[in-house]
Amino acid sequence: MIDDAMRDEWYPVGLFSRLDRDGRETTLMGGPIKVALDANGAAKVTGENGRVLPVSVRYGHIWSSLGEPKKPVFPIPEADQPGRRFVDVGVVRVRCSPLRAVENFLDIAHFPFVHTDILGSEPHTEVENYKVEIREEEDEVWATQVKFYQPQAAKSASGGITTEYMYRVPAPTCSVLYKTCPPRPGEWDVIALFVQPLAEDLCDVWPWMALFDDETPLTDLIHFQQTIFLQDRSILENQIPRLLPLDPGMEIPTRADLTSVAYRRWLKRHNYTYGAQLVAQ
Amino acid sequence: MLSDKTDTWVPVALSQDLPTGQAMPARTPAGPIALWRSQSGRLAASADRCPHRGMRLSHGFVRGEALSCIYHGWTYSQAGQCLRIPAHPSLTPPETIRVATRSVKEAGGIIWVADGAPDDNPPLFEGYVPLRSLTARAGCSALSVAAGTKAAVEGFVWQAPGAPAIRLLPIPQEAGETLIHVLVTADCSASERIAASRAAESLRRMAERIEAKGGVS
Repeated sequence: MIDDAMRDEWYPVGLFSRLDRDGRETTLMGGPIKVALDANGAAKVTGENGRVLPVSVRYGHIWSSLGEPKKPVFPIPEADQPGRRFVDVGVVRVRCSPLRAVENFLDIAHFPFVHTDILGSEPHTEVENYKVEIREEEDEVWATQVKFYQPQAAKSASGGITTEYMYRVPAPTCSVLYKTCPPRPGEWDVIALFVQPLAEDLCDVWPWMALFDDETPLTDLIHFQQTIFLQDRSILENQIPRLLPLDPGMEIPTRADLTSVAYRRWLKRHNYTYGAQLVAQ
Repeated sequence: MLSDKTDTWVPVALSQDLPTGQAMPARTPAGPIALWRSQSGRLAASADRCPHRGMRLSHGFVRGEALSCIYHGWTYSQAGQCLRIPAHPSLTPPETIRVATRSVKEAGGIIWVADGAPDDNPPLFEGYVPLRSLTARAGCSALSVAAGTKAAVEGFVWQAPGAPAIRLLPIPQEAGETLIHVLVTADCSASERIAASRAAESLRRMAERIEAKGGVS
């Protein structure tokens, strides 16, 4: 059994819209699980030996846990906001630690080099100072006032703009990103990353979006995000070690990495170490 | 088989496979390395890991006389010193940010790397020129059985019926694989070079069959 606080957390295990009675065989933290619709049309998740696991359906996805979650799936208030378009992007399998996948999502300094001419471009590589905090009441990591010049920030953007971002980490393998919404100044587009830990070094990444964009065809929106995540995968599968090092000394952060520093500190504080490397080797 | 001693030159790649301005992955007994050739043609080798976030530097890009990590563009000199952190353009990186480098030499069309600093020069194979490299899913011992001869430090000469003699340099890799550089005599014609290449492929297949049957103990 996994002796880690992450056992009692919620994880995405599939898209609700794709679920049927036959169900889907998948893996959660090393153990086989089955996700299916029951006779009443409700989602049902079973683990080894038919053990019934907790279920929740939120943000287009089915969520489950091997342990006993102490809270409901974290809130995303924008999911209930009228006028937004909700996009299930699908799944990208990545041979890396689920924690590395989240940390990469929190990083903007790689945009000019990994998402060249889409989310960033040289010579606009500077990361200006931004604010990072661990909000004690919500128990979440937050980064705010993050600004970056982007040649094409979103499918709906035409031409380069300075985009403002906010990042939230409400659960060890989930992050919610708020970014400037080109067609609606004053509002934020929401892009979330839900990561299903298959093993400590293997994960399924389920991006999900809540956008103000009635124009762009769904296929284009999905294709745009898939392109971005496939570019990220080429990085994530080539980092050494595969597990996320939580002890200082193994990697060198700078001011631009303050979100990552706070994320690692928060993981360690909660004993969220599934997918982490604790002692430098 | 090649020695595991760190002061030994290892033939990691053929010169022809690393053009100017490019980087590639390779291995020495001490682990994976990033091998790269600057715009002016100078070779360099370093540990294949950017100290910032652990990304493989062999995936990086070469500009001028420096190698940059593909993840965040951190840029390193041939001596391993970090020269630039693009997220902080006005910052001069501290001297402590550096990657470990390896000794590199190019001789006879072969790139040699040593983890230490050997006193001697890498061996020259008089009369031979490099043809190609290939990777076998088999260990050196399976390769020796397939060739019917022991793989020595300087490699070994092997001849298939109807093909010219070839010299093979086997270098153990990860997961039981073997990288094999194939050399032919300098006077080989184009058709003899093709026959030599096919002969090396057939030897590779033989070694892989031996390995798949349980290998050799």
